[in-house]
Amino acid sequence: QEEAQAIDQELFTEYQFSVDQLMELAGLSCATAIAKAYPPSSFTTSQPAVLVVCGPGNNGGDGLVCARHLKMFGYQPTVYYPKRPSKPLFEGLTTQCKKMDIPFLPEFPTEAAFIDELYGLVVDAIFGFSFKGAVREPFGSILSTLERVTVPIASIDIPSGWDVEKGKADGLQPDMLISLTAPKKAAMHFTGRYHFLGGRFVPPALQEKYALNLPAYPSTDCVLQLT
Amino acid sequence: QAFPLPSLPRKQPTVLVVCGPAQNGAIGLVCARHLRSFDYEPTIFYPKRSPDPLYRDFTTQCEKMDIPFLSYLPTEVQLINDAYNAVVDAVLGAEGTEGTEPCAPILATLKHIRIPIVSLDVPSGWDPDSGGPGGLSPDVLVSLAAPKACARSFLGRQHFVAGRFLPFDVQRKFELNPPEYPGTECVVAL
Repeated sequence: QEEAQAIDQELFTEYQFSVDQLMELAGLSCATAIAKAYPPSSFTTSQPAVLVVCGPGNNGGDGLVCARHLKMFGYQPTVYYPKRPSKPLFEGLTTQCKKMDIPFLPEFPTEAAFIDELYGLVVDAIFGFSFKGAVREPFGSILSTLERVTVPIASIDIPSGWDVEKGKADGLQPDMLISLTAPKKAAMHFTGRYHFLGGRFVPPALQEKYALNLPAYPSTDCVLQLT
Repeated sequence: QAFPLPSLPRKQPTVLVVCGPAQNGAIGLVCARHLRSFDYEPTIFYPKRSPDPLYRDFTTQCEKMDIPFLSYLPTEVQLINDAYNAVVDAVLGAEGTEGTEPCAPILATLKHIRIPIVSLDVPSGWDPDSGGPGGLSPDVLVSLAAPKACARSFLGRQHFVAGRFLPFDVQRKFELNPPEYPGTECVVAL
């Protein structure tokens, strides 16, 4: 976890990347990976409906970007975003989604069965690699519901609620994991079908410095399928 | 897509990215950084640097990616032809007028090179609406958001549109009727 935070810090301070730049590339990677694993034609619901659950931090921001690109790729995303930071970055991303006619749910579906009926996929953009400690409401209840959902769940960077290094055996078991920048230790505990790498912005010098040993991305793709 | 790595004639995948002083140049800087991620070897010529903090950050990102910045553009055209596989023209965009220093001498040199030129949005020196004589003749044009009127005069090999990010209501409002983008691609060849 510390290494991931150190890499992020270097990208922002040494390389002068803005959070906006990297979040846009990260969110685009997530949407692209989802489109490869779950093409619109594979959905059994009448429309390729996707529920994107966004948490209170940067992982939620990644989710908002992802939702916007999913819409452009032909999906019908719906966002649930209960705790919104009052920062221009997140306000802007929310506006961009709304102007693309992406609905924002006023309440989270109370039953897992409702989610299963309405959506063909859930994107878990609740907590990311900075997550530590206890899960605060409303996310505890949301995660309990998601744990009972039967449609596939795609988690951004870390399955929410997992310890970033040790995982969580009785927690969320997503079908897909999109690791951003590099896989975190928790990824070793991932048992779903699809593991993608996204966030193709790490400069070669940083990759060497942290001995990331990332495999090569195919041609100009922004994602790489690891499993 | 237009110049995949295996297709390049030179042993090293070198590309010269010529960046003007305004937004078109900044887009060139971002392009150079992504070319580096794609394993090309870009070199940048960016003689008049914008004071805009965002564009300054783009410059830092490129420098930290070990992308060299030329201190001058050779006037001897053969040197450019020999060193690079292609040139990215990010000098002037839809705002451009040729006379802006130091663009005029740069464009004068670029007009005589023989390696392919990829122009971003508007071939530098062209009037954005009417096209017209006196500008570069690029091999490839990448229209940003939507093709400009001058694109009708484009005679090169490939014309791409990079406009998948436009919200649907903007597309409708301006009656852009964009083509379908394949899969998850962010560009489409027209």
